[in-house]
Amino acid sequence: MDNSVKIGILYSTTGPYGAMGRESRDGAEFAMEELRAAHGKSVQAIFVDPHGNIPEYLEGARSILRDSGCRHIIGTITSLARKEVIPLVEKHDGLLWYMCPYEGFEANENVIYTGGCPNQHLIPLFDYLLPRFGKRPYLVGANYVWGWEMNRLSRELINEAGGEILGERYLPFEEMAVERIINDIEQRRPSFVLSNLIGPASYAFLKAFKQLGARDRAFEPENCPVVSCDLTECELGEIGRGVATGHLSAASYFDSLNSPENLAFKARLTKHFAAERRISNFFASAYSAVKMCGETILAAGTDEPQVVRRRLSGAPLSTVHGTIRIDSETNHAALPFHLGRITEDNGFDIIASQSAIAADPYLTGRRRRSAPKLRIVS
Amino acid sequence: MRETPNFTGWRVTVLHRPEAATERLTRQLKLLGFHVTVQWAALDAKELPDIILVDADQGWDDLLPWKGAKAPRPVVALLGSEAPGRIAWAMEQGTCTIISKPIAASAVYPALVMAVSIHREREAVHLRLQHLEERIRLRPLVYAAVQKIMAARQIDEEHAYSMLRNCAMQKRLPMEQVAASILGGAEPLPEAG
Repeated sequence: MDNSVKIGILYSTTGPYGAMGRESRDGAEFAMEELRAAHGKSVQAIFVDPHGNIPEYLEGARSILRDSGCRHIIGTITSLARKEVIPLVEKHDGLLWYMCPYEGFEANENVIYTGGCPNQHLIPLFDYLLPRFGKRPYLVGANYVWGWEMNRLSRELINEAGGEILGERYLPFEEMAVERIINDIEQRRPSFVLSNLIGPASYAFLKAFKQLGARDRAFEPENCPVVSCDLTECELGEIGRGVATGHLSAASYFDSLNSPENLAFKARLTKHFAAERRISNFFASAYSAVKMCGETILAAGTDEPQVVRRRLSGAPLSTVHGTIRIDSETNHAALPFHLGRITEDNGFDIIASQSAIAADPYLTGRRRRSAPKLRIVS
Repeated sequence: MRETPNFTGWRVTVLHRPEAATERLTRQLKLLGFHVTVQWAALDAKELPDIILVDADQGWDDLLPWKGAKAPRPVVALLGSEAPGRIAWAMEQGTCTIISKPIAASAVYPALVMAVSIHREREAVHLRLQHLEERIRLRPLVYAAVQKIMAARQIDEEHAYSMLRNCAMQKRLPMEQVAASILGGAEPLPEAG
């Protein structure tokens, strides 16, 4: 009998969202090292890199599940890749640990969701923005389901608030020609810009928006911020120092969190890398997912997904995001909401926070939602 | 789609033998906000839920208390079989859409959203059809009224028709009703103008 604990890690380190994939893989690796240090060599990781190619995701998931006899996969960034992998995970009765923020409207028994859905990111973000900046946003997004659905929900939220969407545009991941959109934004003069762009398109957009702010003060971040639910520390380096300063991003983790869990985590990382390293939500979430997965399997003495799920559900889990709980009905983690403002040196100042919000992937409770309890920290 | 479909507080009845697959389906329905009843017995026509999911592989006649497209509620068929007879049975129950077995969790919400939308569309079309049928039924009255106006006012058919129509518009009544009043003598003949 093979007593080893096997965890598959499926992230693309190249391709348009390679920066996120590399960060996620690094986080997973760091968690594996801690698991091995604490529990010995029996904890094994099977790393597969699908290079941002959908067929390779399928091949990779198949080899992890079938050839390696591993039942747990931590991975996928995009919804497209997740949706491709899920049927295989279901077939092999495995468990996919998906830790990215996503657009919601899913709750699969064979998936643990720890990255947050719109009631945990977009809705609290709008609760913050609308009274402060106004109800006339401009929406830009990646030309696939994340961008489409986030913008559809934004439109609904804005309509309910009696506001107006001034524009809605989409760009492929690698499209860098953003001038037409920038010109349109300049003419329409929105209250803020919601960006669900991903990868190079997002970087090009922020650079061009910075130039727009330089020629027209109305588009400086304090007057018209670009806000996002997926822009993290790991991409700010790619964009360039100072380019995105002042713009806003929502996440359940920022490197600058002052919590004891995060300070201890950061200290371990500094020791490990022999230098300070700025951590993004992708790194922290992949790290948390691998730790949760490995420790739950070890404590349960089996990697049987049903047993792992039962152990996870409802119990308080100590993570770098703070203490979180995974709901047994939806398989989604309750997550804190933080709003960060990008600093000159590519970090985030946390300007508002909300304690753990239970996930509502199908937005069933939105219409009877109570007034938001947002704590402003600066 | 402008508004996010929300099933919170809706009642759904699953007509299926209780088994492991039904449990998974129930779980998914509950997290969509439904109150779920599972039964493998005929549905009570006086206690209808908001939406019905029925096992079309094993369902029998009279499981649903109606026939054909007159289903008063959206019906979703749960179907594993490809037998034409079973597909036909599902359609006879007024099924709006199918969820294939084995049921994938991700198939449930889209099917329900679509079924509700198709059901509403069918109801709207049915109402419109009833309205048009009523108007066609009364069309001979309009013809007779036009003939009466033509004879009385010595004008051509087109002119008589437009007089009748103007009269109906002024009174904000359907032409059929004004025609009936004219023929019955309750309404004076419209003046040429």
